[in-house]
Amino acid sequence: MKYKILKAIDVSGLTFLAPIVRLATGEEPDVQIRAIMQMIVVPIVAFAVFVGLWSQLAPRHKTKSGEVPTPAVVWDAAQGIWTFHAREGDKETAYVLAGEQRESALMAAKDRLAEIDPLTELADRQVADAEQEKSAQVAELTAPLRTKLAVVSERYGADQAARKARWMERADRTAVSDTDARLALLGAWNEHDLRTREEREELKNLRAEIDTVGAQAFPALSAAQKAQTAIAEERQFLRKRIEVLTAYNRNEKARAGEQQLADLRSKYLQADGGAAMAGLAANIARTRTRVESIRESNYARPYTLPMQILRSLLCVFVGFLLGSLIAIPIGILCGLSPTFMAAMMPFIALFKPVSPIVWLPIALIVVGGFIPDPDDHWLINGFAGLPLVGWMKINPAFLASAITVALCSMWATMVNTALGVASIDDDHTNVARMLRLSARERLFRIVLPSALPLIFAGLRISLSVGWMVLIAAELLSSSEGIGKYVWDMFNNGASDSFAKMFVVVFVVGSIGLALDRIMIVFQRLVSFDGAPTAI
Amino acid sequence: MAYLELAKVSKGFGPPSQRTAVLADVELAVDENEFVAILGFSGSGKSTLVGILAGLIDPDEGDVMLANKVVVDPGPERGVMFQNYSLLPWLTVEGNIALAVRKVMPGLSRVERAEYVQRYVDMVNLTGSEAKCPDELSGGMRQRASLARTLAMRPNVLLLDEPLSALDALTRANLQDEIVRIWEEDKRTVVMITNDVDEAALMADRIIVLTPGPRATLGPSFDVDLPRPRDRAGLNRDRRFQALRKRITGYMLNFTKTQAGDEARSRRRMPAIEPRVFEAA
Ligand SMILES: Nc1ncnc2c1ncn2[C@@H]1O[C@H](COP(=O)(O)OP(=O)(O)OP(=O)(O)O)[C@@H](O)[C@H]1O
Ligand SMILES: [Mg+2]
Repeated sequence: MKYKILKAIDVSGLTFLAPIVRLATGEEPDVQIRAIMQMIVVPIVAFAVFVGLWSQLAPRHKTKSGEVPTPAVVWDAAQGIWTFHAREGDKETAYVLAGEQRESALMAAKDRLAEIDPLTELADRQVADAEQEKSAQVAELTAPLRTKLAVVSERYGADQAARKARWMERADRTAVSDTDARLALLGAWNEHDLRTREEREELKNLRAEIDTVGAQAFPALSAAQKAQTAIAEERQFLRKRIEVLTAYNRNEKARAGEQQLADLRSKYLQADGGAAMAGLAANIARTRTRVESIRESNYARPYTLPMQILRSLLCVFVGFLLGSLIAIPIGILCGLSPTFMAAMMPFIALFKPVSPIVWLPIALIVVGGFIPDPDDHWLINGFAGLPLVGWMKINPAFLASAITVALCSMWATMVNTALGVASIDDDHTNVARMLRLSARERLFRIVLPSALPLIFAGLRISLSVGWMVLIAAELLSSSEGIGKYVWDMFNNGASDSFAKMFVVVFVVGSIGLALDRIMIVFQRLVSFDGAPTAI
Repeated sequence: MAYLELAKVSKGFGPPSQRTAVLADVELAVDENEFVAILGFSGSGKSTLVGILAGLIDPDEGDVMLANKVVVDPGPERGVMFQNYSLLPWLTVEGNIALAVRKVMPGLSRVERAEYVQRYVDMVNLTGSEAKCPDELSGGMRQRASLARTLAMRPNVLLLDEPLSALDALTRANLQDEIVRIWEEDKRTVVMITNDVDEAALMADRIIVLTPGPRATLGPSFDVDLPRPRDRAGLNRDRRFQALRKRITGYMLNFTKTQAGDEARSRRRMPAIEPRVFEAA
């Protein structure tokens, strides 16, 4: 039992769990504790230190998009993203609910709305109080500064006026021909100008000082504001949900349509004269198609980050699959035939370093050429018909991103496959020759199994490269996905956009890590030599 | 006419400029159903000889003939047991044997094949280790697995390259009997490489010595006219056996002596060649 667990841990590459299992079974406790310290405690402490430094340093740097978010703010943003996702999901179901379910959902929404209405007032009052308190405190803190400002600015104003008056007086007295005196006056004017500017600068600094005090973080106020925003958002959501459950609900709309249809029909039956009847008949037909399409319709749900993550995963998977399907056969051919390898070498060397940023526009154009009408193309329709991915609305931008992923990621697999196939052991070839295996058998029974560990090592590199490339490709192609989310956040300038980008950093990192882990498991499963795989 | 023949076979390795001739003018004629043991010094070219007989190594000169036909390619009718076992590391013991069996006896059903494989696994005492991969086996176990694979192919010609070198005395004795039994049972032709004179005398009809390299060639052959079945315990006391053994060891010792003498006389300096390390995988 214990060894089975340890074996599974080893295969999955989660080696940090091994000492815990060993400790639990009482095996050399001091050795295990040391291992736990090293493999678990140290990374956790390091991460904690990182978070601590981050929360200390982040607020010091102010940018156009606001402060660099602290871990707490990022965490809030992550929750906000999730809430938005969940609420959109609620609306989507609300749109199709019918009968009793719809009514009970409606009741629940109304109840909740009634519940939070008083809370809204409370939150508003708290914000107002906090604001008042803040302005009182600010006023108190800035009082001496402001008095100083008033005094100084008055004095400077007077000084300036006096200086100017004196100068005018002197100017009035200089004769036209007195060049020297006039030139000296010019110098005096410059002096006056300089002084005035210095004084203005000083005043500006004073005002900035006052502003800084006013702009100081005020935790009570921001907490109150946060609560207020949360309630306002929920209220808005509930209102919208009620709307979607009533007037917007597709069944309700369809019912209204049916009603209209019935009215029209009775009108039609009463109508006299061909012209009137024809008009009504056309109207009935129109209304019927409309009602039918309403019945089929779904809530136009905006992409939320979790959906975009899924779509990105599909995209990287499609690209990775495509790349592997190209790379593995070519790699095998390269490994088998040095001539073919020599023929491929220039292409590999030439295309390998090309950046995704270059491939993407090319891919977009090429895909666009193949799919002139995205709304009616067998490939797009085929994807739309698939059960789990149909909702993702696969489009040319998606395909171009996937192709870019394939083009950038396949080289590692290709080179590794070629190497694996070419470096097959002579002993194994001898066995194949002695048994007189056919070319096919030789490929599938000798060559591929012996190259498999290297092929998988290549696939692992390809997948991580693909994941990196994908985000850039999506950002550029506006294919709905993580990359596009980042780009939208960069462009929309909402107060929490910056924090949401940080959320994306962690999401992308965790998914990349998970993908790599999965590949490690595969790699270990196919490696027969028991050699440890690099972590 | 002999069944398996080598006619004036030579083989060297290395680029033309510094080619070392490993085998030179090797003549060998093995009759059908004959059991020939080849004795030789380490590094003299025994494995190269096996490779040539199997068709895995092309001789520079001369031909390999099987039943009067020149053979170029290897094939399953000449089953080789490689000195370094050459098991496929991604297959289990069972899988390694089954791969060969599938190729040699394509008509077997899955169940029949499993039974057949199991017989050979049992024969080499690997019962219980069928599902292990070569990396999980000891050197001796690998050797036995490799032997089982070769025997299971039931080839017309068995080419065994030091098949029992890594085994303990008891297992070795058992497998010696087993090889002889199989050879007697359905009468095949066996060429076995060994460096153990007793083993050769116990098993073979004829013992041939490969002279030391470079330019190794096959020396005179010694007929083993001991009656079969041969009794291992009694053999040591057998006069004919003792005489044979003396002749062979004498012949071989002579080589080492002349070599030493040659060297002492000519004070020839040794060529500056690094010894190559051959790892038994
Ligand atoms: N592929 C090769 N390339 C170069 N030299 C080789 C090659 N194979 C064998 N040789 C050389 O040929 C000589 C004979 O090798 P071989 O393996 O046939 O010896 P052997 O008699 O089987 O030795 P052992 O008793 O150690 O198995 C050695 O000197 C070796 O260095
Ligand atoms: Mg050898």
